[in-house]
Amino acid sequence: MIVQQIFNGLALGMSYALIAVGYSLVFGILRLINFSHGSVYAFGAHMVLMFVSMNLGLIPAIFLSILLTGLLGMLIDKTALQPLRKKKSIPIAGLITTIGISYIIQNMLMILFGSERKPFPALFDKGMINILSVQISSTQVFMMVVSILLLAIMTFVINKTKIGLAMRALSQNVKAAHLMGINVNFVVIFTFFLGGASAAIAGTLISGYYQIVYPTMGFVAGLKAFSAAVLGGIGVLHGAVIGGLIVGVSESLAAAFLGGTYRDAVSFIVLIIVLVLKPDGLFGKKGIMKV
Amino acid sequence: MVKKMKKIISYLLIATLVMVSLIGCAGTAGSKAESVVKIAVAGPLTGDNSEYGIGFKNAVELMVEEWNERGGVLGKTIQVVVYDDKNSGEEAAAIAEKIVGDSDIVGVIGHFASGVSMVASPTYQENKMIEISPTASHPDYSSEGDYIFRNNSVISAEAEIGLDIAINNLGRTNIGILSIKTDWGSSTAGITKDLILANDKLNLVAQEEIIEGSDDYSAAVTKFVNAGADVIIVAGMYNTLAPFAKQYKQVNPDIALVGFSNAYSYQLIELGGEAVEGVTFPISFFSGSTDPEIQSYVQRYIEKYGSAPSALTSQAYDSAGILLQAIENAGTTDREKIKEELYRINYKGVTGDTFFNAIGDAQKTYVRATVKNGAFVKVE
Repeated sequence: MIVQQIFNGLALGMSYALIAVGYSLVFGILRLINFSHGSVYAFGAHMVLMFVSMNLGLIPAIFLSILLTGLLGMLIDKTALQPLRKKKSIPIAGLITTIGISYIIQNMLMILFGSERKPFPALFDKGMINILSVQISSTQVFMMVVSILLLAIMTFVINKTKIGLAMRALSQNVKAAHLMGINVNFVVIFTFFLGGASAAIAGTLISGYYQIVYPTMGFVAGLKAFSAAVLGGIGVLHGAVIGGLIVGVSESLAAAFLGGTYRDAVSFIVLIIVLVLKPDGLFGKKGIMKV
Repeated sequence: MVKKMKKIISYLLIATLVMVSLIGCAGTAGSKAESVVKIAVAGPLTGDNSEYGIGFKNAVELMVEEWNERGGVLGKTIQVVVYDDKNSGEEAAAIAEKIVGDSDIVGVIGHFASGVSMVASPTYQENKMIEISPTASHPDYSSEGDYIFRNNSVISAEAEIGLDIAINNLGRTNIGILSIKTDWGSSTAGITKDLILANDKLNLVAQEEIIEGSDDYSAAVTKFVNAGADVIIVAGMYNTLAPFAKQYKQVNPDIALVGFSNAYSYQLIELGGEAVEGVTFPISFFSGSTDPEIQSYVQRYIEKYGSAPSALTSQAYDSAGILLQAIENAGTTDREKIKEELYRINYKGVTGDTFFNAIGDAQKTYVRATVKNGAFVKVE
């Protein structure tokens, strides 16, 4: 039973990891905790649902949703965060702004789609796979493959491409990067596009797994994913994945041995213990300071 | 530029002032007309349980419309005032204060959850406001006072039938209990557990509690499977039962599920699809009934709102009918007299004959319904 519970936890953790990558990406480049990410994730899932109900087919619906959600990410930056950067406001202002945006998106979804839970088409459901005494659903395996792929693509973009170089330059020193001729606003907007697109992918996969969507779906999942990102070392992409898995497994084991009502508490206790022992998270780099 | 803005703002301000004073006039003129009787509806119109609150509102409005077509009550027009409590205690407390502050309101139909109703009921009792909850099933709810009624059975009556379904309709005896962590969920699970332990034929193999709104039930499912449960009694709404059924049937397609009447909603089928096939529960009202009165009610409801009414919605419909009948019997809008009439009433409604016992509890008769081929059918 323990092995089965660990696998349950890994699947749950993968869903946190998918969301956590988006938190980590934006933080890694901008040193900004983007709290609207959870709602953007819910937005992505709702867009898929909307396009599917327009009979566009599932695959085009997913791609349209990724594009649209990426655009939403850009819009958030353009309308709310860029003006703040221009005025050189304190970092906390950006954080509070993203919380506000998160509520705006959530309420907009409630107005447009209603607040109740709606069915979502199952993705890649080929039944259960039995390995020894452990049962894994094919959707879980699919989710795992996609998240590793997503992580690989993101890492490639950041480490091997020209825009990735610009992103890394920005994360070290915005002013110097600007003086070197890097179009700062473009790079930031691109980062937000990537963040939004990854949220849409996460939203699609997780909704496809649980077959449910609702406007507040990003709240608790977003909070857990954020703690996963912090646990793994915020700003480090593979850290977000490992952090997600740790949160997922500890939650699942807590539900198994302490009862379902303790799972949330335990996942945050694990976060606190890790932060006490290693303040920068498991893979975090020491001494990142933003002046 | 700034000057222009200032000018626009000042115009806007003047416009608002004029509007406010006009609205003020309309308000005072309206409240002087004393030919209305107001009934309040309080329930979750937004949020996770909005389906139920909207059902309350629809049902009460339909009942009031029928009365108004016949000339109202005591020759006065009946007006419905709707409040959204978001199924939250804090909101309900504030709404209760608002309701008792309006002297035209004779009674409240609401609130939805037992816990929320019990936050509001002390205020109603203190101010001698009649409250009829169509849904609260916590044993302690109606003991709050003599103005507090429920048009719903207490949990134990329903749980007993739920267990009987598991034994006699489904033929299963190894029972697992899944409950949501709310006032209602926890006490339902406790009562069900006591009933199982008191019955030698039954075997309680596992009990799990979950926080409403978490979508991952895999940990609970694994525990039930390992404990060897062959039937799970789910004390949760449709939004818990449907995803739980989906996740459970992926692992064990043979599991039998028993729900409670508050999961009886067409959204259960919409959300659960094939996974909720065979889910069985006790309900006080079945929209497929052949009774002509029920049929005409269901027809009117579908015509107006586009879908068939659920059991709890129908209990709200009858609750409004009971309150209006009590006003008519009392011949006055004096709430104390109406309350006394409520204890004497025997109301024949769509959810059976209703009368209240000494503490204000209605006794409901149950039918058994199950999901078959994507529709609710009666179990014979």
